Amino acid sequence: MKKTFSLITVMLVSLLYTGVASAADVKIGLMAPITGAFASEGQDMQKLLELMVEETNNSGGINGSKVELLVEDDGSTPRSAATAASRLVAKGAPVVIGTYGSAVTEASQDIYDEAGIVQIGTGSTSIRLTAKGMKRFFRTCPRDDEQGRVAQETLQKLGYKRVAILHDNSAYAKGLADETKALIDAKKSAEIIFFDALVPGERDYSAILTKLKGVNPDAIFFTGYYPEAGQLLRQMAEMKFSIPLLGGDATNNLDLVKIAGPAAEGYHFISPPMPADIDNPAAKELIKAYVAKYKSQPSSIWVVLAGDAYLVLVEAIKHKGPDAGAIAEYLHKDLKDFEGMTGKISFDDKGDRVGDIYRLYKVDEKGNFILQPK
Amino acid sequence: MEEFFQQLTNGLAVGGIYALIALGYTMVYGILRLINFAHGDLFTLGAYLGFTLLVSWGLSGVLGGLAVAGVLILFAMGLVAIAGCLLERIAYRPLRNSDRLTAVVSALGASIFVQNAIMLVCGARSQVYPTGILPTTIIPIFGVDVSAMRFLMFGFSLLLMLLLYGFIHKTRLGAAIRAVAIDQDAAKLMGIDVNRIISTVFLIGPALGGAAGVMVGLFYGQITYDMGFSFGLKAFTAAILGGIGNIPGAMVGGILLGVIEALGAAYISIAWKDAIAFCVLILILIFRPTGILGERVAEKI
Repeated sequence: MKKTFSLITVMLVSLLYTGVASAADVKIGLMAPITGAFASEGQDMQKLLELMVEETNNSGGINGSKVELLVEDDGSTPRSAATAASRLVAKGAPVVIGTYGSAVTEASQDIYDEAGIVQIGTGSTSIRLTAKGMKRFFRTCPRDDEQGRVAQETLQKLGYKRVAILHDNSAYAKGLADETKALIDAKKSAEIIFFDALVPGERDYSAILTKLKGVNPDAIFFTGYYPEAGQLLRQMAEMKFSIPLLGGDATNNLDLVKIAGPAAEGYHFISPPMPADIDNPAAKELIKAYVAKYKSQPSSIWVVLAGDAYLVLVEAIKHKGPDAGAIAEYLHKDLKDFEGMTGKISFDDKGDRVGDIYRLYKVDEKGNFILQPK
Repeated sequence: MEEFFQQLTNGLAVGGIYALIALGYTMVYGILRLINFAHGDLFTLGAYLGFTLLVSWGLSGVLGGLAVAGVLILFAMGLVAIAGCLLERIAYRPLRNSDRLTAVVSALGASIFVQNAIMLVCGARSQVYPTGILPTTIIPIFGVDVSAMRFLMFGFSLLLMLLLYGFIHKTRLGAAIRAVAIDQDAAKLMGIDVNRIISTVFLIGPALGGAAGVMVGLFYGQITYDMGFSFGLKAFTAAILGGIGNIPGAMVGGILLGVIEALGAAYISIAWKDAIAFCVLILILIFRPTGILGERVAEKI
């Protein structure tokens, strides 16, 4: 029933969209949160990819054919992601980049898989996305268990003995919190004296912070997203509650500094490295061009990871043409240590990115994200 | 005990905001028997107008912190009041005599319209009020350090509520509002211009919501186009908790809800904070179906 329904949707939508692009173009889909809670991520993904497509086309396209970017908004919710996916299927893109949230990606996976489309997740770090045996799903971001491992190591290295873990009950944040807690418990590297969740999207977290102050931890590890992390930092400063707050990769967003203000100084988070910290001149050029065109930095690492997804796709299409099956095979087998904007990229059999990617960052007094030595 | 006082002050500050927004719901309900679903979005509008004024006028350089806050709140109140009045003209007045469900649908539509209009004009990215406008003084009381701004926020909410209470109970216009709330037709026969009274209510309610919006922006910094939903929902709950249609009820309900949330988070579980608040709501409605201070009304939506 579900299949018939999506089929009908696809047919209806395809009726609306036939004949938009000329046949020789290579279509690359982007499904991103242009609106909704993660709109700042999605809008910057679109900006970066538009810039990259422009550069590809100005330098002659891929093997002579121009790239056409098809953008659909997933609205930051699984519900609209299914619609967005159906539309991209209908528009006939053989490859799709996206999307940010794991739950949102999950809602679209089956639709792309059934249509035989190659999908490259950009920010969906949930473990189970690649555990379904899908042959054409990849991601340029690392997985939550990898991040959990690095989080445990980092907390141990910084010498925190009494650790509080706070998540926000989202699939991603709870997964990372559980993963980190399990590792800390297994290695007995610290004592977890607090484990609870806040409600995302609220403004006042003083009740939670007061409670945390009461249990007096050495450090707080917050696994949620940047808006809440910013509010936590801001309100901790207001309360003069000065213990280290550490975060996961979902807090790697410049808006964090905007929200927290001066209170962001000293905040640590783990994240894949940013282009400025990678020895790749092409990536630095690209970011320079981005800043020149849009007058601001890409808001987060996830935007850059969408750029990486585009780079590997272009590489694959260059070798195999715009055929989804051949592209997937190329990405699985032939693409090794490709120079991406966040370091070397290779994929394993499941479509996960291989390698040790996470780094520790610290916010300095000017609000810049500074890479910490390993 | 220290933690208890700390949590109490946390709850009071948030509760004050809930109460201000709840007043808008309850006043409109009292007079039209209509839940104004767009009220939460008028609150957002207030926050964005305050932000725009602050940034475009460059006020923060000219005046002191609190004076800036005062000017912003006054302007936002005025502008949001006009928006509220327009909303009533466009979305509710034409449906005054139609089925109540029609008006509710119109209210939902207005909410979606305002929210998306804000998103299209101001962008989907969250905006942040410039930092450093408000002083960060800390006042120690009962051995607890409380930010002075929390006091001020609560105090200002309380002041606005008392002004409103005085206005409703001590002035001729207030008496007319009460009369229209009791019986529109009889009020009309007594020579009260009902349309004017309803417009007045749609000036006052949104103005309070707008003030709450600016306060949230100034204090918490971050504003998003969809923040009206979560605050609106909480305030609506507070209005029901206190007894919808009843002005002191909205004040009590809002403050109570804030305190229950803070204490629930402190002594039971943070993750269950909202669940606890809604459980209290359900319990109160079981034992007092009209809310804490509500009078018996024949029917509700």
